[in-house]
Amino acid sequence: MNGYLQVENTLFTAAMVLYFVSMILYFLFFAMRREKAGKAGNIVMSAAFVLHTAALVCRGIGAGRFPLTNQYEFATSFAWGICLVCLIFVWRFRFQALGTFAAPVIFVIIGYAAMQSREVKELMPALRSSWLAFHVSSAIISYGAFGVSFAVSLIFLLRERGKNNAFWESHIPEKNRLDMISYRAVALGFLFLTFVIVTGAIWAEQAWGSYWSWDPKETWSLVTWIIYALYLHLRISRGWRGKSAAIFAVIGFVCVIFTYIGVNTFLPGIHSYA
Amino acid sequence: MQAMKKIWKFMSSMKFALILLVILAAACSGGSFITQGQSYEWYTSAYSETAAAAIKLLGLDHVFTCWWFIVITVFLCVNLLLCNVLRAPHLVKRFRGMADPAGMLRRRAPGDHTAVAGAEDAQKVFEKMGFRNPKAGTDQEGRAFLYAYRHRAGLWGAWLCHLGILVLIVGFALGQMTKREYTVYGVPGQSRPIGDTHYALSIDSFEIGLRGDDTVEQYTSGLTMYNIDDGSSRSAQVSVNHPATLYGMKLYQNSTGYAADIAVLKDGKEIQRETVCAGEVLEVEDKEGLAIAFMAFYPDYYMDAGTGPMTRSSAMNNPGYLYQAYYQNQIIGMNVLTGEDVITIDEYTVVFSDPQSYTLIQIKQDRFTPMALAGGLIILAGLFLAFYLQSAALLAWEEENGSWRIVGECRKGGALFEERLAECITPERRKPE
Ligand code: HEM
Repeated sequence: MNGYLQVENTLFTAAMVLYFVSMILYFLFFAMRREKAGKAGNIVMSAAFVLHTAALVCRGIGAGRFPLTNQYEFATSFAWGICLVCLIFVWRFRFQALGTFAAPVIFVIIGYAAMQSREVKELMPALRSSWLAFHVSSAIISYGAFGVSFAVSLIFLLRERGKNNAFWESHIPEKNRLDMISYRAVALGFLFLTFVIVTGAIWAEQAWGSYWSWDPKETWSLVTWIIYALYLHLRISRGWRGKSAAIFAVIGFVCVIFTYIGVNTFLPGIHSYA
Repeated sequence: MQAMKKIWKFMSSMKFALILLVILAAACSGGSFITQGQSYEWYTSAYSETAAAAIKLLGLDHVFTCWWFIVITVFLCVNLLLCNVLRAPHLVKRFRGMADPAGMLRRRAPGDHTAVAGAEDAQKVFEKMGFRNPKAGTDQEGRAFLYAYRHRAGLWGAWLCHLGILVLIVGFALGQMTKREYTVYGVPGQSRPIGDTHYALSIDSFEIGLRGDDTVEQYTSGLTMYNIDDGSSRSAQVSVNHPATLYGMKLYQNSTGYAADIAVLKDGKEIQRETVCAGEVLEVEDKEGLAIAFMAFYPDYYMDAGTGPMTRSSAMNNPGYLYQAYYQNQIIGMNVLTGEDVITIDEYTVVFSDPQSYTLIQIKQDRFTPMALAGGLIILAGLFLAFYLQSAALLAWEEENGSWRIVGECRKGGALFEERLAECITPERRKPE
């Protein structure tokens, strides 16, 4: 194994441990009402993100290519994407407590990554395309944004169920704002998902001569796209804002996860290698 | 008449759009779970008789091309078209209206906005909010006002996105209806007609680039296409991910397989020799009804007790040819030939030799691919406008007592825009109570 990949291994493990620590800190913050733990959680999560980024860079150098071509690489990048979008939203909307809900999602996904084989394999010719790099890296951002909207919508639904004590009042934005933040996350995710589908189609056209062939992975990305389109329209036709929108965002993310893991596991298709 | 109007209205409504989208999503997920394109018998054994009957009846064995899927897609297009056509004049009006402060001056509500101390503070709030060079003027009652707007183009985002979807669907549908597809395969030196076209494709070369570890890096075919009518020709190289276009047709390196030379000898004299790809059948010309099917090839052959014929590697260490011999459609022999093995049938001897790789080239012509691509790009542009260029306007005006009031409008920014505005009106800018 080359040196970069060894370093990557260490950085990856360190990042995973730190994500776990941040999850515990957030838990203390939320369940035990420890203010300081919340701040510490944010710092630890940012540190984990830095290590995680370094791990991905090492992977890329070590493998000599874009690190986005097998289950391990995609899963670890997916977790990274959620963390990236989460940190951006924490900063942009001054919403510290968001990490509390994102950390478990990140930890589960990076845990899934840890269970995958880390072997670096040479790529089959069809995968050696720069469209693939655009395709997959936009998928990371898109999935990350949907992950954040999922977390925000869960918070919304908890709020909806009457979680309205003083602690919530001071740390969680009010419902209108949550709805708006979730919408911003879905908008980001939707724009990028569209980009994923378009670049994927261009790539498929070059590699297989057909830009759309109703392969299960393609079909499910379309289903996910339609679900989020429904979300966007339901929000416009008033009355449906808030709770229903939040439920749709949750369903949408379940579709994202299914497109990502379920399709490879349960359905046959040409995407089964990625 | 009334009913017609109602139908018309429904056809252009968002409610109809939502219903159609839900059905499409459900159909797509159904189509991904039910294996497509199988026979009735296949579904019977995979599910049950009733399920198989239902699948065939509803066309669930070919969801994406069945009539009701197409009808729903057509409805979606009509819906999108109507929605866009009906909304266009309204959008033009809003787009124009934004440049004119009159609309917002009319809409301002009395008194419920935070007041700022004076004109200078109001100006600062405009700057802070990112609105440059507000237009100054006086309203009908002679009071001074400041007005600015931004990202007017953003109003067109959703409209453009819908237009893109329409272009994409129409481009895809036209492509499906008119596209032509052919496959040609062979070994270097062979030339074959391309389906029913007036062209032929000859394979000049075929190379498999291997890496040090025996994995394939690239497949590359050198090709020449001939116009049978005028005798002209054009050449190109194609490899995986790098198709080429000749005579308006796109050539793709699709896959590869093995081929071998099959020689037929009669009483020791060669009477026929052909290069045959694995999977093809050689008809013996000298004896009607006699045929040799070249079933499969194993470059480094060995017999596995469990799975049958196998290959150890892709190196030609021990070529093995699996064949079946037929006479008048009856199998009369089947075996794997290795080393010096030959097939002997009465006075005929059949010899396999010179194994090599053949290349499979896919040839496509879809004139509407650029249209579909344009649709995709329009959608992306529309989404960017809709989400990231949110149109907004800001109005400040002087009250009778000399203080200023500010109001903002940003339909999509909602709570966040209001919040930002509230932040920009800092305590020091605020009019003292
Ligand atoms: C797959 C199909 C569709 C997609 C992906 C789509 C996408 C979108 C998007 C992204 C927006 C902007 C939402 C926002 O800014 O929050 C939007 C708005 C809208 N859509 Fe669609 N749409 C689709 C189909 C339709 C159809 C069939 C109709 C027909 C009635 C429709 C009617 C509208 C309307 C009225 C708006 C509001 C526009 C505005 O706020 O300016 N959409 N759509």
